[in-house]
Amino acid sequence: MAGLLLSQSEKLFIVHGVQDDYRSDGRSNLDYRPMELETDLVDTATGSARLRLANTDLLVAVKTEIDVPSPDKPDLGKIEFNVDCSANATPQFEGRGGDQLAVGIANLMQAAYQSSQAFNLKQLCIFEGKQCWKLFVDILILECGGNLCDAVSLAVKAALFNTRIPCVKAILMDGGDVDLQLSDDPFDNKLLDVGTAPLLVTLCKIGDKCVVDPSAEEESCSVVSLIVGITGTPSCYSDQENLAEVGGKFSTIDMNGPGSVAPKTLKDAINQGIVAAKLLDKALAKALINERKENIRTKKSSYGFLK
Amino acid sequence: MPLDYRRFNGPEDSVSYKRFTKGYLKSYDELYKESLDDKGVRKDGRALSEARSLFARTDMVSQAKGSSYVELRKTKVVCSVFDPREIPHQNEFSQLGQIFCEVKFAPFSCPRRRRPHVPDAEEKALSVALRKALEPTVCRHMFPNYQVDVFIYILENDGSCLSAAINAAGLALADAAVPMYDVITSCTVAIVGEKMFVDPTEAEENLATISPSTPINHGIITLSMLSELKQISDFTQVGSMDVECVVKAMDILDKECARLVPLMQKVLVANVLKCFETRKRLEEEANEKEQLLNAKMDEWKKLLKFT
Amino acid sequence: MPGPDLLSSQGLRLDGRRPNELRRIQCKLGVFTQPDGSAYLEQGNTKVLAAVYGPHQAAKSKSLQDSVVVNCQYSMATFSTGERKNRPRGDRKSQEMSMHLRQALMAAIKTELYPRSQIDIYVEVLQADGGAYCTSVNAATLALIDAGIPIKAYVIACTASLAWKDGEPEPLVDVSHVEEAAGGVVLTVASMPSTGAIGLIEMSHRLHMDYFDTVLSRAMQGCKDIEVILDKVVREHLAEGWTKSDDAITI
Repeated sequence: MAGLLLSQSEKLFIVHGVQDDYRSDGRSNLDYRPMELETDLVDTATGSARLRLANTDLLVAVKTEIDVPSPDKPDLGKIEFNVDCSANATPQFEGRGGDQLAVGIANLMQAAYQSSQAFNLKQLCIFEGKQCWKLFVDILILECGGNLCDAVSLAVKAALFNTRIPCVKAILMDGGDVDLQLSDDPFDNKLLDVGTAPLLVTLCKIGDKCVVDPSAEEESCSVVSLIVGITGTPSCYSDQENLAEVGGKFSTIDMNGPGSVAPKTLKDAINQGIVAAKLLDKALAKALINERKENIRTKKSSYGFLK
Repeated sequence: MPLDYRRFNGPEDSVSYKRFTKGYLKSYDELYKESLDDKGVRKDGRALSEARSLFARTDMVSQAKGSSYVELRKTKVVCSVFDPREIPHQNEFSQLGQIFCEVKFAPFSCPRRRRPHVPDAEEKALSVALRKALEPTVCRHMFPNYQVDVFIYILENDGSCLSAAINAAGLALADAAVPMYDVITSCTVAIVGEKMFVDPTEAEENLATISPSTPINHGIITLSMLSELKQISDFTQVGSMDVECVVKAMDILDKECARLVPLMQKVLVANVLKCFETRKRLEEEANEKEQLLNAKMDEWKKLLKFT
Repeated sequence: MPGPDLLSSQGLRLDGRRPNELRRIQCKLGVFTQPDGSAYLEQGNTKVLAAVYGPHQAAKSKSLQDSVVVNCQYSMATFSTGERKNRPRGDRKSQEMSMHLRQALMAAIKTELYPRSQIDIYVEVLQADGGAYCTSVNAATLALIDAGIPIKAYVIACTASLAWKDGEPEPLVDVSHVEEAAGGVVLTVASMPSTGAIGLIEMSHRLHMDYFDTVLSRAMQGCKDIEVILDKVVREHLAEGWTKSDDAITI
C-alpha cells in the first residue's frame, strides 16, 4: 500500500486489540466496515457496479460477446475475469506494476466461479455446440484500503445481478454457419441467475485470532490470511417461495501470505468464514433487490463518483 | 496465443480427432461408474484411501546445487534448486530472502494436448501455489536480499502434480542445504460425492472438476504440511463442497502427509550418508595419491643424491 | 468535405445540440482520499477520473536539477468503449495520449518550484464518447488544483469540427463520438484561456487553410466556456472547505 508506515508499537496495539475482540476502529472481529454499492452506472457495459468499502474503491463492468463454445463443453457459455489495478490507487501500479496482484485476484475469482453449483454456465448457451455468450467481467481497482478480495467478489456479484442479456429472436442456419438475430428492443432481455454466485471472505490471522474485513493497517500486521469462497443462497435473491435450500458450500479455499497455520485454526477460520459469508450474502441481496425495485418505476439518475 | 511456427499447425478451426474417440465421448455417469468397480477398487487397482507408491531420490541434475526426482507411478517430476543469488532488478533491500519458483510442463507430459513453449495460465498458477507452499518452510531470514531459484519440470502428468512438485521441491531444497524449519510434504484428494480419491490420477481429477447435475460435493483439495511443527503451509480447494466434507478431507490429507515424512527423511538420510561415503572415498583416494607422490619424491631425491 | 450531414436543416447537431453548445459538464474534486489530489469529470457521456501524487522525491534516474519531473499515465478501462479493449494501457494510442497529456500540463505547472521532485498524474477513462483527451486534460487540471500544486492558469482542452449549412461553413464545438466517427475534421486544442497561450494543438483529417481560423477560434471559445464552469466548481469546492474549518475554529 502507498506510504503505509506502521511502527512496532502501533502493530502491537492492533494485535492486542484483536486479541480482546475490539479493533482500533471499534469493530468486533466479525464485523464488516460500512459499504456503498451502486449498480448500472457504465453505459457502455451490459452490467456494472461500483463498490466502496471504506477506502477500497472498485468499478466492475460486465461486457458480453458472442463466442463459440469450447468443443468439450458444447452446452456451456464462458466467463472470464479480468482485473486491472489502476495507478490511481497507488503509484506502484504504474505500467505493469499491478499485474501480479491482478492475476492473483483474477485466478481466485475464476476458481470460485468454476463449479456449476457456484455459477451455472448453461444459462449462457445460445445454440448448443455452435454459439454461446461470453461474459467479460472487468474489475477496475481504483483505490486500495484493504480487503480487496471480498470487495471484488461483492461487486462482481452485484454487476452480474445487474447484467441483462439480449434475447435471441431467430437463429438462421446458413450451411454450417449460424446467423443470430438479436432483439433490438432494449427491454426485451433476460436477467442472469446469480443466486448461487460465490462471495469471497478473507480471514486475516492476527495473533491467534482471525478477523474478517481487515483494513490495510491490519493486513500489514498479519503474515497469513485465508480466503474462502462460499456459494450464495438463491432464496435471498428471488421472490419465489419453496426454493431448495442450497448454497453455503465452499467453492474455493486459498491461503495468502508467507506464513502457515495450525490445522485447528484453519478449521475454526473456515467455520467463521461461512457465517460471515451468509450474513454478507443476505445484506447484499437486500440491497440489490431494493435497488432494482427503485429502478423499475423510474430510472434514477446515477450518482457515480459525483456523490 | 502465439503459434509455434517451427512445426505444422492445423487449420485454425480444426479439432483433434481424439474428440471423436470412444474415450472422449463418455458421459459423466459412465465416467463415474468406471472410476470405481463394485468392490470399491479403483481403475489402477488401488483402494480409495490408498496413495500411489512413491519413488523419490535426490541428486538428479549434476549442474544444480540440489535436485530431486519424484515419481508417483505415471506422474514424474524433476526439481532443481540453484545457489542463492542477489535479487535482480530490485531497488529496495528486502529483509527476507525470496524464493523464485517456476513450474514447467514437458511438451509431451499430458496425454490430451501438447504443451506450448510459453508458460500458460496453469503453469503460472502452479508456480505461485508452489512459492506459497515453500515460503513458510524455508528460513528466509538467513539470506536477506538473496533469492533461491526452484525449477520444477513435470516430465509426465497423471494427476496430483502440485503435490508431487511440492514434495520434490522440499527434497531438492534440503539437498541444496538451504536451511529449512521442517520437512515439507503434500498430498491431494479428489472428491466426488461421498467418495474421496486420495492421490488421484488425471482421470479422477477430471471427474472431480466436471460439475455434476445433482448438487453433490465435488472438487479437489491440495494440502501441504510441516508435519513436525503441525503447521499447514498451503491449502487450496476448488469445486463445491460443504464444511463436513472439507474437514474430513483435511483429516485424511493430514494423515497422508504425516505418512510421507519418514519416507522423505529416509531419502534425505540416505543422501547424507551417500555424501559422507563419497567424501570418505575421495579423501582416501586423495591420501593414496599423496602417498604415491611422496614415494615418487623420495625416489627422485635418492637419485639426485647418487648423481 | 465530410459526406454525412453533421447539421440538420434546423441547424441542430446529431445529438440535438446547437453548433456552439458544449455537452453537459459535471465534476467533483477530491473523490479519493489516498492520492494528494483527485477529480472526477463528466463531459456528456465521457467520464474520467484523475489522480495526482506528489510532489515527492524523484527516482534517481529521472531526477532533474532545476525542475520537477511530470509523469503522466493515460489508461482507458477495458469497458470504456463500445467494443471491449484488450489492454487498458501500454498500447500505442495510450502512450501517445500520455505524452500529449504531459505536454499540455507541463505548460501550466510551475515546474521550477520543485527541483529534484516528481509529480505523478494518473488518468483513468471510465467511459469514452468522444473527446476523451480533452476531458482527461480538464480532469487532470482539477486534480492538480485539488492537490494544491501551483499552476500558472487553468489548462483547458476542447475540440472543434467543421460542418456545412446551406453552403456556409459552421464550426462545431466539443465533438462527440458520433461526429468524430462521421469523418469530419477534428481540431484538438489545449490552452490556457486566461493568458491565451496554447499548450498543444492537434488536428486530424483535412481542412482548408481559409477555415482554420474559424475552427480554432470556436475551439478557443469552447475552452473559455469550460474554464468558466470549472472555475465555478473549484470556488464552490474551496468555499465548502473554508466554511467547515470556520465551524471548527469558532470557540
